[in-house]
Amino acid sequence: MTGTPDAALPPGTREHLTSPVTQAALRIQNSITAGTREYLGMNGFVELQPPLIGPVTDPGCRGAKQVDVDYYGHKYKMMTSVILYKQASLLAFDKIFYVAPNVRLEPLETSTTGRHLVEFTQIDVEVARASREEVLDVAQGLLRHIVAHTLRESKVDLATLGRDQEAFTALLEEDFERMTHREAVSRLQGLRHGQSADAEIDWQGERIISEQTNRPFFIVDYPKGSRGFTDGESSTEPGVLRNFDLIASDGFGELCSGGERTHEYRRLIERMRETGENPAKYAWYLDLAREGLPPSAGFGMGLERVTRYIAGLDAIWQANAYPKLPGIATP
Amino acid sequence: MITARQLPEDAIRARAREGSAAIFPDVAGYGRSLFGADVDTPPDELDRARIVPPVFVPRRLEKMFDLAREPVYGDVGLSTVLGGFTAPSPVFLCAFGSTQVAGSGLGIAASEQAGRLGMPMVIGENVVPMHGYGRMGESVEDGLLGRIRAYADAVPDGLGGVVVQQSTEDADAEVWNLVYSDPSATKLLETGRLAFELKVGQGAKPGLGGMTVLSRTAAGEIAEQYTVDEAFGRDQAMVLRSSSPGTFTGEILRQQIHLMRNNYPRARAWVKLHPGRDVGEAARVAWAAGADAVTVDGAEGGTGWAPSVFLDQVGLPLVECLRRVGKHDASLLVSGRIWEGARALKCLAMGASAVGLGRAALLAVDEDATEGLVRLVRCLELELRLLASALGKYDLADLTTDDLWFPGSSARTEQDG
Repeated sequence: MTGTPDAALPPGTREHLTSPVTQAALRIQNSITAGTREYLGMNGFVELQPPLIGPVTDPGCRGAKQVDVDYYGHKYKMMTSVILYKQASLLAFDKIFYVAPNVRLEPLETSTTGRHLVEFTQIDVEVARASREEVLDVAQGLLRHIVAHTLRESKVDLATLGRDQEAFTALLEEDFERMTHREAVSRLQGLRHGQSADAEIDWQGERIISEQTNRPFFIVDYPKGSRGFTDGESSTEPGVLRNFDLIASDGFGELCSGGERTHEYRRLIERMRETGENPAKYAWYLDLAREGLPPSAGFGMGLERVTRYIAGLDAIWQANAYPKLPGIATP
Repeated sequence: MITARQLPEDAIRARAREGSAAIFPDVAGYGRSLFGADVDTPPDELDRARIVPPVFVPRRLEKMFDLAREPVYGDVGLSTVLGGFTAPSPVFLCAFGSTQVAGSGLGIAASEQAGRLGMPMVIGENVVPMHGYGRMGESVEDGLLGRIRAYADAVPDGLGGVVVQQSTEDADAEVWNLVYSDPSATKLLETGRLAFELKVGQGAKPGLGGMTVLSRTAAGEIAEQYTVDEAFGRDQAMVLRSSSPGTFTGEILRQQIHLMRNNYPRARAWVKLHPGRDVGEAARVAWAAGADAVTVDGAEGGTGWAPSVFLDQVGLPLVECLRRVGKHDASLLVSGRIWEGARALKCLAMGASAVGLGRAALLAVDEDATEGLVRLVRCLELELRLLASALGKYDLADLTTDDLWFPGSSARTEQDG
């Protein structure tokens, strides 16, 4: 990382856009999206354009607020994640991806994590009839390809930012470790971090555990109650979700979340109630599920987070031309 | 005209005359009356129970050792921790829901006085959908934000807390997310004095969702979200708005609490239950899932609009809820016609950690908008001290059912003492 304090806020628009750091970061980001399209295109994925608003968006987690839009008198939402649309899109193609913008009004405490933006972009991938293990392979392959592509195409910009290419040797050469949520909790508690066994790994815990490794790794099997209804529950281990997070090395934290999806109509209704959701909101989606949605697995990889990781930036806002931090009114 | 003296003729004739409007209290009283079980209902079992001081008071002797003098009622300690909040006495302010009574400035007055008292305050689940939040051009006065600000400005450091409810349909309004990310709530959040309450049900209408009476114009604006019923007749200006009661199983309740704790790690998680027959089991599920408090609203609970049959005949009385839930290490909060010290003490003796003031609090602020609630609570606290002292107990945690006598209960033997 470049040594700027995590809590530092973005400067004014002119200073930010004319900064060599911003320009290098955005060129690296350009290389990341090009690498993404190259890898997924080579592997048979169809890129679709994501919707920006809809009657519902994904149920959200960790206290983020959705943004309402007056849609001819109907209350529509800005997408916080296009996950429901990804599932629906599998009615058209078996392997799809979006480079999708999202808006989440994150809680104020996330303004200083260095990892949260209110407006951000996700590389959203979904595969029909895939298992979690199959999409773990896709996520690993994609991140490796992105890194290799960027190291090749963005040498000058990485040098400008002082990013050491050696940081990615293990990522490029070794498979990513897979640990269960239970193991991650136990590891954190062993490091005297008070991580709840029922909840997602908290922000500080993610950073701590990320600092312990030299290559990205997966945390799998989050407990039910820690995620929204779209994450599928294991049929053999009740209470365990067939999901995952991809955690970067060197303290950069979470890059990507995903898993097998809940797709059966009755389970969707049950899981919606378990997550405090009102099924009436999801009428169009449930109508599709009642007639049949393919089982699937997929993930969403945060473009700015991956950019921050590869470029070695202190804060995620450095990877966005017009960064919006929680609670801070900026252009 | 025929007569039938064995039947409630007036009520039958009212139904024949007015149709479904007659199954509710008189709609003309909506917005001015606080509802609840009929005033003609005889005092319930809890009111009939007597508080029975013993002759021998070993705990008074213990207290005398501490003080080196005879203890008096002023030595009874009332301060407590309820639902994760520190309170000066085991009393909290109940949610008033979206009733117009609370919306007409009384909600703000009650919030300010509760803040001054340092007593935890619950804010009703549909204040936001009905009165707005208080941002982006909405009136701050009646909205959620106005109540939070009034409370937060008055509350002493280290005391009290604000609890914001949400139920199934209010999830659409994302009340919890709004509050959690609002700069006005930051101080409460940072000092551990914000909680969210999952509203499973309410005392006056177990098994029903929230109900309010609205003008046709107001109803049209929320028709997409709520059931709107012509209960009072098509020629009337007012219509009935109902929420869904929500669907719960043990697993759904457990997971919703897990999700609350995961999504809002800096807020406390409370759960409100209606006086259902499985209230004991539901409370245990909630505590096991990590709820910081379970609130049980006895069937005597009120304020909001409900069909008369629910007010008078549905749900367990508070005393039976207390029996079915029993004492627990986590907080059990109860409400239902609480207004003075005796009923409060009986609840505490039966296992409650604290009692909530609903209608009584609204009446108090209606009587005096600046001091009414403060005076009501001070009276209740004085009575609690006098009663506990009479029982020879100076810590409310020492109260037990031995301190109560229920008429008709089997005669006690000497060994029971």
